[in-house]
Amino acid sequence: MPDQSQICSDLISISFVLNGKRINVSVDPSETALMALREDLCLTGTKEGCGIGECGACSIIVDGKVVNSCLTLAAQLDGREVMTVEGIASDAAGQCLQRAFAETGGVQCGFCTPGMLLSSYALLKQNPNPSREQIIEAISGNICRCTGYIQIIEAIEKASTDLLNSNSEEK
Amino acid sequence: MTEKNSQIQAGSSVGKNLIRVGAWERLAGQARFCADIKMEGMAHVVVVRSSKHHALIKSINLDKARNSRGCLGIFTSRDIPGKNRFGIINKDQFLLAEDKVRCKGDPIAIVVGETLSEAQKAAQLIQISYQELPSIFDPEEALRPQAVKIHEKGNLLGSRVIKKGNPDEAFSKSEIIIERYYETSHVEHAYLEPDAGAAMIDEDGILTIFASTQNPHYDLKDVCDLLNLDESKVRIIQSPTGGGFGSKLDLNVQGFVGLAAWLLKRPVKMVYSREESFLCTSKRHPLKIWYRSGATKDGRLLAADVKIIGDTGAYASYGLAVVTRAAVHASGPYEIPNIRIESIFAYTNNPMSGAMRGFGVPQIAFAHESQMDLIAESLKLNPIEIRLRNSLRVGSQTATGQQLDASVGIAKTIESIKPYYDEARNKGPVLRNHKRYGIGTASMFYGIGNTGVQNPSTAQIELEKDGSVILYSGAADIGQGSSTVLAQIAAQELNLDPSTIKLVIADTGRTTSAGATSASRQTYISGNAILDATKKLKDVLVTHAANKLKIPRQRLEIKNYSVVDRKNEQKGITFEQLATIMSRTGVPLKWQGFFDPDTTPLDSETGSGKPYGAYAYASHVAEVMVDTLTGEVEVLKVVAAHDVGRAINPENVRGQIYGGVVMGLGFALMEEFFPGKTESLKDYHIPTCADVPQIVPIIVEEFEPTGPFGAKGVGEPALIPTAPAIMNAIADALGVRIYKLPANLERVMAACVLSKES
Repeated sequence: MPDQSQICSDLISISFVLNGKRINVSVDPSETALMALREDLCLTGTKEGCGIGECGACSIIVDGKVVNSCLTLAAQLDGREVMTVEGIASDAAGQCLQRAFAETGGVQCGFCTPGMLLSSYALLKQNPNPSREQIIEAISGNICRCTGYIQIIEAIEKASTDLLNSNSEEK
Repeated sequence: MTEKNSQIQAGSSVGKNLIRVGAWERLAGQARFCADIKMEGMAHVVVVRSSKHHALIKSINLDKARNSRGCLGIFTSRDIPGKNRFGIINKDQFLLAEDKVRCKGDPIAIVVGETLSEAQKAAQLIQISYQELPSIFDPEEALRPQAVKIHEKGNLLGSRVIKKGNPDEAFSKSEIIIERYYETSHVEHAYLEPDAGAAMIDEDGILTIFASTQNPHYDLKDVCDLLNLDESKVRIIQSPTGGGFGSKLDLNVQGFVGLAAWLLKRPVKMVYSREESFLCTSKRHPLKIWYRSGATKDGRLLAADVKIIGDTGAYASYGLAVVTRAAVHASGPYEIPNIRIESIFAYTNNPMSGAMRGFGVPQIAFAHESQMDLIAESLKLNPIEIRLRNSLRVGSQTATGQQLDASVGIAKTIESIKPYYDEARNKGPVLRNHKRYGIGTASMFYGIGNTGVQNPSTAQIELEKDGSVILYSGAADIGQGSSTVLAQIAAQELNLDPSTIKLVIADTGRTTSAGATSASRQTYISGNAILDATKKLKDVLVTHAANKLKIPRQRLEIKNYSVVDRKNEQKGITFEQLATIMSRTGVPLKWQGFFDPDTTPLDSETGSGKPYGAYAYASHVAEVMVDTLTGEVEVLKVVAAHDVGRAINPENVRGQIYGGVVMGLGFALMEEFFPGKTESLKDYHIPTCADVPQIVPIIVEEFEPTGPFGAKGVGEPALIPTAPAIMNAIADALGVRIYKLPANLERVMAACVLSKES
């Protein structure tokens, strides 16, 4: 957490779209995006697992790309479009992923889950029908210690199928 | 549970894939893990830790730190109101060091700050001067008479001897004797959620601690002793817990946040960084194993002589449990008539080793399964065949002399993997020049629950006045899914939709002890406690219904929260009506259940006794490709057959198997924690999804008569055979065996060089 005594005068104002809503917030220049989300904006769904970009628990989506929020400065979010796990249910892709994770056993302790969801959401947005290899590549930066990944991979495959089916039904 | 789970038909909940309790809140980012807790006026706690492996503390200067901005308080051992000792088995840990530190990371003081950075800044201003002592990092060295004493009572933690038959005579009759030495390394649990906790004093003056924990009722006892508080003054609530694998059985942050909140009368929070979690939480015990096996020329095991020396590090933690469990399981799942096993653990100045998924069995299984392959190889027997020939059966006696009466599924697990083994053996993939393909198998048995000691679980089930049902259990669900399984067990007995049962879990203010979430025990032991409570409630419900409806009990059944006439379902009485009748007539609505497995203590001289009420069994096959130019091992496929008694929730069982296999793969190939060197996930690698092989889980259901609906357990067994199966596959690929875990690039390359030479 930033030392308030030193930074009050140095706070910078940023503005970005967070889960579909524009927000304005003042952040410390040295503050990470993870800290800003969790502490300043009280969105604690994004997790800190290692703080050095190794585990992916802090994954968020910035302008369609997955980034480690622990390695991103809050100031870098200025002008961007950001999605966290709290915004994942906003569309069909996110909902399909949530349902598939629940139904296939893709959630055990749940600490990696927000990051896994965001990595797989970004994948499905780019590539609605990914191969197993592409899924593995997409979540290779997200560590899970509980599931052995298999049911997570199955969940993403299922979500992809469900999403394609629901899209074709709509058409 | 939410209505989203209502796909489950009432009354048929056992064997169904009920969606995990808590899954939806985790998927929405709404689960509040400890690090997510925010309270009005919440301060932050950091710990000042030893930078020395072994030293006397000469002085602690707090003056500068005390005056640091935002510093609310600094506490050392002198500020602890109660007894400054804790530990799950041996009370040898200090919440804050007194005169001495025994390993790097030993806690010396806690600093509480208005903000985290203020606490951290103040902590940096604390000056500690030490007088260094000689350090010991090897358990054999620690056991030498002249070794410096790490604890006052000496460096021996404990030992366990198991004797059966006449091993000397059996070895003299053995037609083949295989003797080898094996070693395993320190392993880090690396759960995704670093340890965390928060504490506050509630409106009734109760110190309430939220913790990421595997055993809230144990935490309660040690916190009360540390703070000199009555158990009625402290409440531990398990927060959503991001994995544990054994390390969150220890009191990690609970004492620190409890002390700070109690002394300052302020809400506090503490979250370990990953580095702190690596530095000061327990590790898997590294074992040195000398293993001598004797067999006949047709591959029948006659004798085993095993010596195990383990390093428990600076504190005991669950060390004594590992000493014994490793010894008890040293035979493997085989009938060996003549046994001599000696297991000795010593203190060193390494980080504390404690419980980690399997309690020493993954280590000893590496040895006994390597031995099995070595015997098979020298007798030119098929590795599957030699295991089948020796496997435990109904009527067999284990090394401790326990006769197995039922649910001995080892042979079935071997038979289930055999077709996969044979298929792989017959086909084999096309090889490139520098790549070698290998197949390996391994088996294990695992006693469910604590070893030869009482380890009961208690639970309650309550009928509410509106007819709904609440299940109370102290069993901490750390991600493995116990809450879901326990609800399914109660629902099965009451013929209800399990998703409609309300759950109160792992809160010492509202639940009674279920014992630890360890030793793969919650399904079997807490499941039975819940079943006991549920049966009592059911009995009372049916009795009152019979009385009211004037229908014999035998004709009644429970359906959809009513007790109805089997012959005429229109005729019945609802739970709500029954609740009213019961309350009016002074009959309790809440019923208590209890279960303790039928065990006996192990004899101190011979180790004989009945350590467990039930055993799980498993066999795996691993296929690997070894790159002889790089030493890289690719695990292509693992087939994992597990006898779980009865799969209460098959998807959950598969989840445990997948997770266990992948953790076992890490244990086999990459995970090695170097005390004092390994700092974080940057230098300690655990498997990512890119490392995951094809995994074929096979659930074998060999009904356990003492289990709830026949169930046993799977959490730890899932991991155990994987590493030995992979090691046997590497040996098959190279014709050279590796005797130390993990088989990292260096060790595999060394084996490749030997392989080429031969």
